[in-house]
Amino acid sequence: MLTSIQLDELRAAVGAGGLITAQNQLQTYECDGLTNFRVMPGAVVLPRTTEEVQAVVRVCARYKIPFVSRGAGTGLSGGALPAEGCVVISLARLDRILEVDFANRLVVVEPGVINAHVTQRVTPRGYFYAPDPSSQSVCTIGGNVAENSGGAHCLKYGFTVTHVLALEVVLPSGELVQFGSRALDTPGYDLTGVFVGSEGTLGVATKITLRIVKRPQVVQTLLAAFASPHAAGQTVSDIIAAGMLPSALEIMDALAIQAAEAAVHAHYPTCDGLLLVELDGSASEVESLMRQVRELCGKNGASEIRVAQSEQERALVWKGRKAAFASMGRISPNYIVQDGVIPRTALSRVLTEIESMAIGAGLRVANVFHAGDGNLHPLVLYDRSIPGQEEAALDLSYRILRLCVDSGGSITGEHGVGKEKQEALGYMFTEPDLATMQLVRCAFDPENISNPDKVFPRPRLCGDKPGPYVPHALETAGIAEIF
Amino acid sequence: MDSTTAWTLEEGTTQIASIVGEEHVRVRGESVVCAPADAAQIAPILRFANANGLAVTASGSGTKLGWGNPVAADIQLSMGRMNTLREHAWQDMTCTVEAGSTWAAMQAELARHGQMVALDPLWPERATVGGIVAVNDSGALRLKYGGLRDLIIGMTLVLADGTIARTGGKVVKNVAGYDLHKLMTGSFGTLGVIAEVHFRLHPLEQHSRTWTAVARHPSLFDAPLCALLDSQMTPSGVQLRVSQRQSALDVRIAGLPHCLDESGAHLRKILDPLELSESIESVWQARQELVDREGAVVLKVSLIPSEVCAVFSELQQWADDDGVDCAAVAQATGLITVALRSEPEAAVTLIERLRARLRVCDGSLVALQIPEALRNKFDIWGCAAGTLTLMREIKRRFDPNRILNPGRFVGGI
Repeated sequence: MLTSIQLDELRAAVGAGGLITAQNQLQTYECDGLTNFRVMPGAVVLPRTTEEVQAVVRVCARYKIPFVSRGAGTGLSGGALPAEGCVVISLARLDRILEVDFANRLVVVEPGVINAHVTQRVTPRGYFYAPDPSSQSVCTIGGNVAENSGGAHCLKYGFTVTHVLALEVVLPSGELVQFGSRALDTPGYDLTGVFVGSEGTLGVATKITLRIVKRPQVVQTLLAAFASPHAAGQTVSDIIAAGMLPSALEIMDALAIQAAEAAVHAHYPTCDGLLLVELDGSASEVESLMRQVRELCGKNGASEIRVAQSEQERALVWKGRKAAFASMGRISPNYIVQDGVIPRTALSRVLTEIESMAIGAGLRVANVFHAGDGNLHPLVLYDRSIPGQEEAALDLSYRILRLCVDSGGSITGEHGVGKEKQEALGYMFTEPDLATMQLVRCAFDPENISNPDKVFPRPRLCGDKPGPYVPHALETAGIAEIF
Repeated sequence: MDSTTAWTLEEGTTQIASIVGEEHVRVRGESVVCAPADAAQIAPILRFANANGLAVTASGSGTKLGWGNPVAADIQLSMGRMNTLREHAWQDMTCTVEAGSTWAAMQAELARHGQMVALDPLWPERATVGGIVAVNDSGALRLKYGGLRDLIIGMTLVLADGTIARTGGKVVKNVAGYDLHKLMTGSFGTLGVIAEVHFRLHPLEQHSRTWTAVARHPSLFDAPLCALLDSQMTPSGVQLRVSQRQSALDVRIAGLPHCLDESGAHLRKILDPLELSESIESVWQARQELVDREGAVVLKVSLIPSEVCAVFSELQQWADDDGVDCAAVAQATGLITVALRSEPEAAVTLIERLRARLRVCDGSLVALQIPEALRNKFDIWGCAAGTLTLMREIKRRFDPNRILNPGRFVGGI
């Protein structure tokens, strides 16, 4: 519980209009996109400036009150889940694009700026902001920085960290610091590099300098239908072996296609393994490479190959892919979204294994994945009303993660560890590895107040209910959807 | 090792020999030089050093040992035995290499499957992976492929207390835990000893061509360079070479052979009115040649790309005025290598002047190589501004007894 003195100080920091304490309003902030974890915060603050963020963090530091910063709350690992009685720092009002510098191909934004708005702002001059998580129309740059978000196009263009040049950060002590600069290689440790992806545990970013990229002359998207995801996966391997680096390589299986079709009518071919290949570059280069891709698809028995003929058609292809998670509701009452990574060469073996694990558990698993970089998103479908099925689904989903680690991969490619995968991190890394990471944590946040009890494994507290997806009240009411 | 040197040196040698084997230990001056076989041998050596407060430096072939502030190492870890490419998962486009492997040896192995780590560091024939990562070196390829931060996907390191820790992994996409490898990259060996590095790989550039334009003054490149960087072309190298006599702009484009003619034509249009001629690949050695200049002060300068030509012009003017022999190679990323030859005072004056100029364009200047006459005449690192306290705290947590390259880094870290 926050004391009235503490609340007064928070109010003084952000003004009366920037402090939320009413229970019904606090409820909005009790979870993020991982809705089965819910904790009521002690208060929510909505600062408008860096100075206000700093003032809030100073209050928290003085009283050792935990704080959790939050963007749009689209995260899928519970990274923005409040700590009991904490202060949630919503960065939604820090939503200005402060500067666009085309000469140096960068923009400076506040953390509450929506990912897609950066691209919209620089499109007239032919530029775009490359990281494109599926939630890009609503998720914020601050959240992307926290999670080191990826997206379908990071195969070629890299992750959020590739595109962050500099950060202004309020440290958990309340001190304001600058990491990096517009120029490369600022002397000293790469604090920007370690901060991006630290899931809000090292402080609050209040200003972010991002690279922007010139849009290529030509972008072409090809769809190829295969009899199995394995054949689609083999085609991916062949494309890579041919020395190509497409901007995206995505695979969806029959269940995922069925769900996406039901939700957005993307006109996907009906098949068991759909491969989506996007190439970009100069017109002549794309034309040559696309010819090669077609040949490789044919060699692996593609029954249908088509290239999106217009920008609208291409947008529809992507809309279907990006809505894949949300559309699972069309084919299953409940589902768990997973996010594991495997070496690309293990794809076929891991898919077979997942299939047999699913059969063994008596459940269906839909597969959507960024095949180019081995990032799987298995969706475990189940029905909570059937006794025991939820537990079975949970168990299966965690076994899939362990399979990813055992295959030489990772427990998360882009969703982060957050609350959901704390324990799984302990499966992936040894005690000494984790203790070394903690050295960084302790240097930044010795009092452990910045998004505490996230990322790192710990004994589970009573009352935690890990795993499956539970619709948020807003989602049930049709006000919001998840990505 | 001071008054107890003889005893300590002997004891240290015996102790370390029991770890790595006698044939891999020798005494050089006041240091014990030893060659561990793997991380498991580095760990007890560091534990021993940590318990006795002995300064440790890890080195490969020593190409950059003179970079940073000097360190009097009690123990020198010679990484040459750890030189194996442990894994090349070519279908996954990743590799795992030991820190003591030379860059060229690693690349030769990777090239067998038409792949590379997309980075062109200094002295590739001799420089080792660990040293290159420790100083965060990069060359012209950085424009297209990014720096080491973007190419390293994991690492095995040994901490001062002997802890062997892994960070990242062997897959390209991975956000599990903190990216300690980013902290290690460019940390000049002050946080841990890098034992093994996992890289993401790119296809080799099988076909590429380089075009060069020459002009009397770097300012003539300003507008064409801006136009090139604002275009849809994705060159795999753009460098500006400047000396007192003339300036040159080199552009390298890689692609399918039949597309390169078209790229050349397109490039001519963008760089108009500059006259382009085709060059040989060796023009990309320009940075290496600068660093190899006998007796030169070598600077790493970083600034926003849009200011490169303007700063070059000013630098050239100052050098002319002060009688300093100054040559430089700038990458289009804004990273510049400068070589100065002059009287010490004139060099320091020029460096301070350049630093002041860089402050207004977010830039920085680090002196990588300096003649002895200039040692302690100026801060080679420049100011690390407001983050020094945090950096010192990170150092304290990782290496509380300050045994790893003590004093070598920014702010005496």
